[in-house]
Amino acid sequence: MTDNLLLTTTVGSFGKPEYLTKARAQAARGKLGSTELEELERKATAEWIRRQEDIGLDVLVDGEMYRGDMVAYFAERLEGFKIGGLVRSYGNRYYHKPVIAGKVARPTPMTVSWFEYAQSLTSKPVKGMLTGPYTLLDWSYNEAYPTRRDAVLALAEIVRDEARDLERAGAKYIQIDEPAIHARPEEIEIAIEAMGIVTAGLSAKTISHICYGDFAAIYPQVLDLPVDQLDLAMANYGYRWLDLFDRNPFTKELAIGIVDVHAHETETVEVAAEGIRKGLRYVRAEKLWPHPDCGLKTRTVEESVEKCVAVVEATKVVRKELAKVPA
Amino acid sequence: MTIKTTVIGAYPKIGEGLDGQELRRALHRHDRGEISTADLDKVFDDTTRSAIGEIESAGIDVTNDAQIRWDDLLSPFARAWSGVDPGPLERFYDNNTYFRQPVIDGPIQTDGRSLVRDYTFARGVAKSTLKAAIPGPLTFATLVARDEQYRSLEDRVLAVADATAKEIAGLKAAGATMIDIEDPAVVASPKHIELAREAYGRFADPDLALTLVTYFFPADAVLESLASFPVAAVGIDVRSRDTTAFDRLDAFRTHYVLVGVVDARNTRLETADEVARYAERALKLVPQERLVLATTTSLEYLPRDVARAKLTALVEGARLVSGEKVLA
Repeated sequence: MTDNLLLTTTVGSFGKPEYLTKARAQAARGKLGSTELEELERKATAEWIRRQEDIGLDVLVDGEMYRGDMVAYFAERLEGFKIGGLVRSYGNRYYHKPVIAGKVARPTPMTVSWFEYAQSLTSKPVKGMLTGPYTLLDWSYNEAYPTRRDAVLALAEIVRDEARDLERAGAKYIQIDEPAIHARPEEIEIAIEAMGIVTAGLSAKTISHICYGDFAAIYPQVLDLPVDQLDLAMANYGYRWLDLFDRNPFTKELAIGIVDVHAHETETVEVAAEGIRKGLRYVRAEKLWPHPDCGLKTRTVEESVEKCVAVVEATKVVRKELAKVPA
Repeated sequence: MTIKTTVIGAYPKIGEGLDGQELRRALHRHDRGEISTADLDKVFDDTTRSAIGEIESAGIDVTNDAQIRWDDLLSPFARAWSGVDPGPLERFYDNNTYFRQPVIDGPIQTDGRSLVRDYTFARGVAKSTLKAAIPGPLTFATLVARDEQYRSLEDRVLAVADATAKEIAGLKAAGATMIDIEDPAVVASPKHIELAREAYGRFADPDLALTLVTYFFPADAVLESLASFPVAAVGIDVRSRDTTAFDRLDAFRTHYVLVGVVDARNTRLETADEVARYAERALKLVPQERLVLATTTSLEYLPRDVARAKLTALVEGARLVSGEKVLA
């Protein structure tokens, strides 16, 4: 029986359909109301739930049709934040980098209704998706707290409350992303302390996605991050982070990135399958989750689908291989 | 006499409102084939002119060309040099800002004129003293994604240093007298400091005011070593991390010292008083004629209105401090 081996999933975001991209631009210019925009966001979410089911992914996400940036979405809903001016991330891409201007507080849950809506559309599990406290701080300007640690710990209490609300709403998987965790390796203890606040007492499976940075600089300390599963970009790095596991064995579940999200072209099924086989040298199949390297929001809908199909088809190939191996 | 002020690296390419976003729109239109490369070039030039104008109107003494055409610190060279191409995207050190990691597939070669056109244009625009900038060899060499040409980091650093020497010679021939060498790897990877020093020997030129600019990381482990680099000046960021460097600036006995006192990575605005206090602290260890106040790094990590306000605070802080007052 190989159905529960190599469960497939994705990191969180998908490409937005053109009608939604246009609607968001109109809404930003005040030419479309929030009710009308939300209707389109719900439509796009439903489409993505259906696509994920059709593709055959095992653990789904809501696709973040209602989010732009993974920090700004939360900053816009929290007290204490203000939205700053435009800052360039690369090339001609800019974002409004948030500013922590006062004591942070959460007036209402921020993601729960979207989780509930997405979960209502499918019998497959949908992950609750949050941005971790260290990344919320690191990707914002801090004008309010005397130290970075003070700000991270204050944000941890907010993320904890949101995670508990997601669990109460039925989330069996809660992903708390920390892509900034290796920004300052000397602060890994702060990120670990903060994640401890977030996940304490949760019974849901907890996951943290980490990408695009020097993972070697925080390994093996990152194994102390109190989550069940680490979700890592690997394909983009030619799987070199796996070499780290030779010296210090990986002790958690591993969600392994097997397709590069920054390339337009999709890897062949065989190339993606080879990524899974590489992961299996270090992590048993029941603890290894194939997925794309990162969120797919920079890809088109069609490219997002292609990447997910590659993940699922590659997984089928490797599951068959595993089924042939005598126990 | 007021303490001199300068900027480091890139200035924000777009500002607030529709008027401030002409370059962003032009790049989109160029991508869609709606405007020609010549049209886009004109917008790049106009944006450069306006950025230099903003830096100068804040009262900064030594400006640069604002690096408006640069996608990141390395790409202009990864594109211009043969043997190198811009490769995969990666975050630039501890910033949520990306750069293209260079990929080396052959011997690095350059005619040394990669920056001459932009420098010459900026020279025609700037009313104040103009400096050029180029990435440091250790930074370039340690940030490559792949290298199919050089057998060791040492070989790669020295090859980049030779290309850097040609660019510096090209800038000198175009009239440049001051050049920043932005080299955060020197403080990010202090174990390679001796290799970096050897590389700097490849382009040392007593007739040029070369500045080794460090940022993001504390210079604590290499401060004394930096004081023996064959450059005219060294830039030290005293705001990004806790550092003892601020209390050891007297390690520099002959070099000019650029002290990064205005944090270019946080919107919290320094007051002129705060800048003046930093300056007075530095003046206890560095004489005024060798002290230059600067931003910690590129102002492009900030929205343009905040960048402008930071420059004003920097200049006002410098003006608050008079050498006489401090020496008394």
